[in-house]
Amino acid sequence: MSAEEAGSTDEHAGDERAADEPVGAGDTPSDDDEAPVSAESDAGTDHTLDGDAILRLRDLDAGYGDLQILSDVDLDVADEEFVTIVGPNGAGKSTVMKTVFGLTTHMDGTVEFEGEPIHGLAPEQIIREGIGFVPQNDNVFPGLSVRENLEMGAYILDSVPEDRIEEIYDRFPILRERSDQKAGTLSGGQRQMVAMGRALMLDPDLLLLDEPSAGLAPDLVADMFDRIDRINDSGTAVLMVEQNAKEALRRCDRGYVLVNGENRYTDRGEVLLGDEDVRKDFLGG
Amino acid sequence: MGTTESSIVDSARARPGLLLVIFLGGLLLVDLAAKLAGLSLLPIGGAISADRLGSNLWNGVVIGLVIGLAGIGLSMTYSILSFANFSHGDLLSTGAFTGWGVAFLIAGFGDVPVRALLSVRDAGDATAGDIGAHIISTPVAILVGLLAAFAITAAVALALDRAFYKPMRDRDGISILIASIGAALIVRYVIQFVYGSDRRGVTASVEASNLAFDPLGLSVNAHELSIVVAAIGLMLAMHFMLQHTKLGTAMRAMADNKDLALVTGIPAERVVTATWIIGGGLAGASGYLYVLLRGTIQFDFGWLLLLLIFAAVILGGIGSVYGAIAGGLVIGIVFTTSTIWIPSDFNEAAAFAVMITMLLLRPEGLFGGVSTA
Repeated sequence: MSAEEAGSTDEHAGDERAADEPVGAGDTPSDDDEAPVSAESDAGTDHTLDGDAILRLRDLDAGYGDLQILSDVDLDVADEEFVTIVGPNGAGKSTVMKTVFGLTTHMDGTVEFEGEPIHGLAPEQIIREGIGFVPQNDNVFPGLSVRENLEMGAYILDSVPEDRIEEIYDRFPILRERSDQKAGTLSGGQRQMVAMGRALMLDPDLLLLDEPSAGLAPDLVADMFDRIDRINDSGTAVLMVEQNAKEALRRCDRGYVLVNGENRYTDRGEVLLGDEDVRKDFLGG
Repeated sequence: MGTTESSIVDSARARPGLLLVIFLGGLLLVDLAAKLAGLSLLPIGGAISADRLGSNLWNGVVIGLVIGLAGIGLSMTYSILSFANFSHGDLLSTGAFTGWGVAFLIAGFGDVPVRALLSVRDAGDATAGDIGAHIISTPVAILVGLLAAFAITAAVALALDRAFYKPMRDRDGISILIASIGAALIVRYVIQFVYGSDRRGVTASVEASNLAFDPLGLSVNAHELSIVVAAIGLMLAMHFMLQHTKLGTAMRAMADNKDLALVTGIPAERVVTATWIIGGGLAGASGYLYVLLRGTIQFDFGWLLLLLIFAAVILGGIGSVYGAIAGGLVIGIVFTTSTIWIPSDFNEAAAFAVMITMLLLRPEGLFGGVSTA
């Protein structure tokens, strides 16, 4: 295992994440459970948007098989918005994302995308609706060339959209140089670009990113966030789960703090960052 | 993280074994040269002429290509469906019987009762000579038979998938493996029930069917040449399909990472269907070609051949299509050239000895870890 990958496994928390651990599931839950919102907190607890949202989760219960992870989760993403989900390990952050993409067991509640319910659809159908997903680990096909990886992202189209591949090469120029190289031979940062490029092949309205900085060398993390900003600036809404919570909240429009599979706080990123409770409990002071 | 250190230890540990293998291999090569020169160094094996060595190697290539062709499907189902398919050998038998039934029908139509022809001579007193199936006298029949073997076996493989493997798609590899042993028994005894259990000759003998390559001192049978052409043609088509078509790329993607293929929007069931059609079809074609090579057919030949096919696939690196082809060639050549030193009753043992040695020195196989569907 390379040093880059070391931070990517759950057992092996990165430095950024270590600070979260004291409030990890089951460690010191008593205070939080009794007083979900402490009196002195300024962070909001209204988890829904008043206006239009392209993604709308309401009272969502979901998990894996019989194991329920999420309960009554509300979450909205407005058109072209950048939303991030933070919270301790085991809070169900990734589960929210996987549930939107149809990869978990839907138990109750609704997931609406652009006004249509999508819970219960298979990933293949959800892609057609206009959602792209970049999983956390192993998110490229190592034996396929960079170009073939991108082509697979547009599998549901009848022909390879050459202009779209060119747009992605313009966005990530290094991928044009590496076009014929096997994705397995690329560095962690370049693999992450291939994974994002593949998810962008169908020009989705919403991009789901599961811990995009996981496994990246520290000096590449800022670069990766810049790329996500640019993707968002060009009109794609982003819903991101990130272990690097401070940086994620600094970049996003709004943030959701999830604890034990339930909503805790929802507010603009800088408000959450400035809130003493959130800082203390979830961001390491 | 200590990986460099442990790899040095690993290679140091492997070195004595590797040296021993190189020494023994060298010894055999020196002995082979001595035998060709008329000397006898090792106490095993008799004299050998260059002609016989040449024909041993040629036979090894022919049988190796057939085994490699059969191994492609086994490797594909392993990498895409994650289980070792023990019914693969009986797909070879399926292809051989159905394909030869069709070839007989075309070659002998009018002269011999149709029932005898379709049952590959189980229901009649016609002889192989009466039907006269041979690549020189009835090339169309042989070719159509090959296509029929491919098509019918692909259909049977797909039917087995729908009946047994699809309902078990989410189960672990061992459960499906055991189910495949059951499927193998069903297929084998249906074949025995329909076609009978006796071993019989299939190809007619035609005069001047041997093409001599004088410079090499090699005499090549027309059927062997047909097999080599057909096998290489199918392998090249397979290579083109894998590397240059959307379906082939999707197959490699699924072999790489099934979960990611799912979230990428690759329609998994369609790729699985294509895998059975191509893998099953190639198994049927290779069974048909194996009978063309041997000239005889028996209901359980595919099952008996399965062990060698597994050896080839494991030797080449299970999961790799190219490894299956390379492994087939190695197994085929070892199979035939080992008779220089040991009685031909033991040549399967020699093939397995090479496979085991290979796995001791390179556990991932020849092409293992390269990951190409």
